[in-house]
Amino acid sequence: MSDRFSTRLLRLLMRTYPKEFRERFGDDLARDFEQLLMARGHREAWRFALADLRRAVPMTHSDDQRARQRRYAITLGGEGHMGTLSFDVRHALRGLVKSPVFTAVTVLTLALGIGANSAIFTLVNAVMLRPLGYQSPERLMLIHEAIPASGVPRFGVSAADYLDLAQMDGPFAGMGVYRSSTVELSGTESPESVSVAETSASLFPVLGVGAAQGRTFTASEDQPGERVAIITDTLRRRRFAASSPIGERITLDRRPYTIVGVMPAGFEFPKRGTPFNGQPADIYVPLVFNRFERQARGNGYRHSVIGRLKDGVTAQQAARDVLAVAPRIAQNYPSELRGVSLQILATPMMDEISGQVRRPLLILLGAVGLVLLVACANVANLFLSRAVARQREMGVRVALGASRVRLFQLLLIESLLIALASGAIGLVIANWALRAVPAALTMSLPGLSDISLDSRVVLFTLGISVLTALIFGTVPMTAGMRRELTDALRDGTRVSGGRHQHRLQAGLVVTSVALAFVLLVASGLLIRSFAHLISAESGVHAENVLTVEVTLPLAGYNQAPRVRSFYQVVEERVRAIPGAKAAVVTTDLPLRADGDRRAFTPENADPNAGGTEAMALTWAHGDYFSTFGIPLIRGRNFSPEEQFENRLVVIVSKNFADHFWPGQDPIGKRLKFGIPASPQPWQTIVGVAGDVVDGPLGSKPIVHVYSPYSEPSDQLLASAIGSLWRRMNIAVNGDVDAGSLTTSIRAIVASIDPALALAKVTTMREVVREMSAPQRFSATVLGGFAAGALLLAAIGLYGVLAFAVAQRTREIGVRVALGAARSEVLGLILKQGMVLVGAGLVIGLAGSLAAVRVLRTLLFETEVYDAATFAIVPVLLGAVALVACYVPARRAAVVDPVVTLRAE
Amino acid sequence: MKKTQPPLSSAVFHILLALADGPLHGYGIMQAVELSASSEPPMGPGTIYGSLQRMEEAGLVKELATRTDDRRRVFALQPAGRRALALEAERLARLAALVREKRLVPEGV
Repeated sequence: MSDRFSTRLLRLLMRTYPKEFRERFGDDLARDFEQLLMARGHREAWRFALADLRRAVPMTHSDDQRARQRRYAITLGGEGHMGTLSFDVRHALRGLVKSPVFTAVTVLTLALGIGANSAIFTLVNAVMLRPLGYQSPERLMLIHEAIPASGVPRFGVSAADYLDLAQMDGPFAGMGVYRSSTVELSGTESPESVSVAETSASLFPVLGVGAAQGRTFTASEDQPGERVAIITDTLRRRRFAASSPIGERITLDRRPYTIVGVMPAGFEFPKRGTPFNGQPADIYVPLVFNRFERQARGNGYRHSVIGRLKDGVTAQQAARDVLAVAPRIAQNYPSELRGVSLQILATPMMDEISGQVRRPLLILLGAVGLVLLVACANVANLFLSRAVARQREMGVRVALGASRVRLFQLLLIESLLIALASGAIGLVIANWALRAVPAALTMSLPGLSDISLDSRVVLFTLGISVLTALIFGTVPMTAGMRRELTDALRDGTRVSGGRHQHRLQAGLVVTSVALAFVLLVASGLLIRSFAHLISAESGVHAENVLTVEVTLPLAGYNQAPRVRSFYQVVEERVRAIPGAKAAVVTTDLPLRADGDRRAFTPENADPNAGGTEAMALTWAHGDYFSTFGIPLIRGRNFSPEEQFENRLVVIVSKNFADHFWPGQDPIGKRLKFGIPASPQPWQTIVGVAGDVVDGPLGSKPIVHVYSPYSEPSDQLLASAIGSLWRRMNIAVNGDVDAGSLTTSIRAIVASIDPALALAKVTTMREVVREMSAPQRFSATVLGGFAAGALLLAAIGLYGVLAFAVAQRTREIGVRVALGAARSEVLGLILKQGMVLVGAGLVIGLAGSLAAVRVLRTLLFETEVYDAATFAIVPVLLGAVALVACYVPARRAAVVDPVVTLRAE
Repeated sequence: MKKTQPPLSSAVFHILLALADGPLHGYGIMQAVELSASSEPPMGPGTIYGSLQRMEEAGLVKELATRTDDRRRVFALQPAGRRALALEAERLARLAALVREKRLVPEGV
C-alpha cells in the first residue's frame, strides 16, 4: 500500500466524523496521519488511526446531531430528503445490534457455511485454477509411450525414441525431456538427499520460464562436458542465504557442479501428480544421454517429455499426429522387437496434473454448496419469524410515509450486512480450517504445497456472500410484502404470520431435510467405501517396519565389491540391532509402485494362460518376506549361498504361479527376463510368496518376481545404468520404537560411509496412512458437512415448530380447556412436524438416488445404491427430526389453558 | 471557578498538561501526551481534536489565530485551563498522600 493510497483511504474513513468537525480538522488529521506513516510505518500507523477513529467518532458527534438521527430513523424518511445509502446502512446496523442474539445466530450459521465453501474453493483454486507458473500452460502436452500387449497402460519415453521424435517435424514448436532422481548433496553442510531433475536444454524454453539469476542450460550442455547446475530459489535461500550462488560449486553424488542459474521464487518443476518423474526438484542438471541410452531401443522407458503446441494446433490434433508417427519410430527398433505395436500418446499437461483429484474436489465443492443452501434456508426462516415480529414496526413506518421500496431497500441492506459480516468471519474460519488439512494430503495433491487465500478466494467469498444475502433476504421479503402492512396496526394484541408465510417456512424446512438427506447419503457412501479401502488386503502383514532409503553415488561406488559389501554389511548389522526381528536391503518397497517393471517369459506355460501385465521385479538381500510379513506359501526362501552368489533362482508370487501353471507345482519351473528371444538365462523358481498389492490400496495384486541381490552382474552394478541397484531401501521389522531404530540405522550407515545421507525415513504404518489420506480426507470432510447439514435441518425444524406452537398457544389452550388430552396435543404438534420431515425424506431420497451417481468412480467396493446406507440415513434423520419436533410439542402439551385464556 | 471540580478525564488532563509548556499543534500534543501517559491507551489525532473542540467550548483552551509554517492549527492554554490543571494536580497529590499514609508504596516513590 502506498502512502498516498493510505492517506486517501483515511480521508474516506474520516467521513464518519461530523461534517463541521471534518471541515475544521480534516487537513490537520491527514497531515498528522502522514507524519505517523513516516515515523512508524504502515502497520503501526493504521493500528493507531483505527483505534483513534473508534474512540473519536462517537465523541465528536454532538448530542443534537444524534437526536436528529433518531427522529429521522422513526419515519425512515420519504424519498428525497437525506435518504442516503449510508443512513440506511447505519440504521440497519443499529437494528442488528439491538437484537444481538438474532444477529449472532444468523451470522454464525452463515459464517460456517461460507467458511466451508471458501475453504473447499481454496483447494480447488490451488489445484485446478491457479496457473502452473509456466507460460500458457494450457499449450503444454505430456508425451508417453505405450505397448498395448504389455498390459501396462503407458510408460515414459525412452531416450532413443525421444531423440527420434525430436528429429521429426511434429505438432510441437519445441520439446523438452527430463527424468527425476534423488541424489546426495554434500559439501559445506551435512550431506542431504535432494531431488534432482535432469533436463534437456530445450526444456526451460518450452516451459517458457527463464532463470531469475544467471541462465538456463545451453544446447552444448546436452553433451558430456563441464558439469553445471541450476538451483531453485528455495534451495538458494537455504544454502546461500546472503551471497549470489552463481559460479559457486556444489557437490552432487560426490562430483562438483558449478551453479549457473537460479530459478525464480515459486517455480516448481516437475509438478506432483504427473504420472512419472513427478517429484519437484531442488536442483536441475543437464540430461546427457550416453551412447548406450541413445541406442537402447525398446528399453529404458523412463523419461518424461513435454511438448509445446505450435500455434494453431489443437491438443486433439497433436495427439493424433504423434500417434501417427509411432510406427515410423518402431521401425528403428531391433529386428526381434520389430513386431511390437508401439503407441505414442500426448495429453494436455494440465489434465494430467489435476485430473485425478478434480472429481473428488468438485464433489466436495458441490456438497459444501448444499450445506450453504441449508444454512440459507435456516436463516431465511429466522428472518421470516423476525419479519412477523416486526410487522407492527413496519406498519408504523408505512403509516408515517415510508415507501415500500424504501423498506425493501432497508431489509436488503440488513441481509447484505449480515452476509458480509458472515463472509469476513467465514474467511477467517476457512483460513483456520485449511491449516488443519493433513500434510499427507498436501503432499498428494498437486499444487497444494502452496495453499493460500489469494484474491480469487476473497472474490469468491464476497460473491457467495452477496448471493446468500439475495437468497435468504428476498425470500422472507416476498412473504412480508404481500400483506397489507398497515393491517398490523389494526390488530391490537396479536401478531401472526399469514398462511403464505407458513407455507414458505414449511417449504424451507422440507428443503433443509431433503438436502441433509442427500449429504448424509453421500457421506455414508464415502465412509463405507473408506472402511472397505483401509481393510482391503494389501498382502503386507507387518506395520512395525521402519524403512529408509540410501543412494550410493557412482563416484564412490564404481566397483561392484564396494556396492556388494555395503548392502551385505548393512543387512548383517541391522539384523543384529537389539529388538529387530528381520531386516532386508531391497530395491523397492511394497505398495510404493516404484520398483522395476519387466517383460518376462515363462517356460512351458499353460497354453491357455495368455499374457499378463509386466511383472514387478524386486531384488533383495536379507529376509524380505519375514520383514514385511508376506507368507511363503510353497517352497523355500533363498539360501545364504544364493544370496551371495548368483545361482539363477527366483521366488514368484502366487498369482504368477497360478496364472502360468494352474494346477501344477510351480517349484522347479523356469522363467527368464525379457521377451522369448532374449538371450537372458533361464531362472528356476524355488518358492511361492503371497500376493502383494503394489500401488494404490485396494488395487489388484501385481504379478511379482523376487530375485537375490546377487543376480545383477558386477558390470551392471557398478555402471551408470546400475542406479536401480544403488538406490537401496533398508527395512527392519521390530517392536522397537521407530525413533531409536532410525538412530541405530543412521549410526550403522555412518560407520560404513559417513558421507551418505538417509532419505524417506518412514514406517509401513505411515505409508498405509498416507496412501489412504485423500479418501480419508473426502470421507471426513463430507461427513462433517453432512453432520452440519443435519444439525441445521434439526434446528430449522425446531425453530419452525416452536414458532408455530407459540402462535397457536391460544388455540391449544382452548382445546385443552374443552377437554383435549395432553397426548392429543403432543400428537398434533408432532404430526405437524413429522409431515414436513416425511416430505423432506421423500424428496431427499429421490434427490440422492439421482445425485449419488456422480460418486460412482470414487467408491471402492461399494455400490452407489448401497442398501445399508439408504436404510440407515432415513432412520438417523427421522430420529434426529423426532427429537427436534418433540421439544416444542412437549411445550405445547403443558400449556396451561387458564393462563393462555386469561391473557386474552 | 469554584475551588473544587469533578476529576478531569484522562484525555483532558494530559492535553492540558501538554499545553502547559506553551502552544502546540495537534501532532505535538499527541507526542507530548504519549510521553506523559505512557501506560495508557494511546490517544490519536482524532481523539485530541475532539477533546480540544470540547475543551474550547468549556473555555479551557483556545485556537490561536496564527498557524504553523505547514498550516497546522495551534492551540494554547487559557487561564481557566491552567486553573483546572492546578486543581486536578492538587487533587491527585491529595490522593497520592492518602495512599502513601497507608504505606502501600515504598518511601520516596
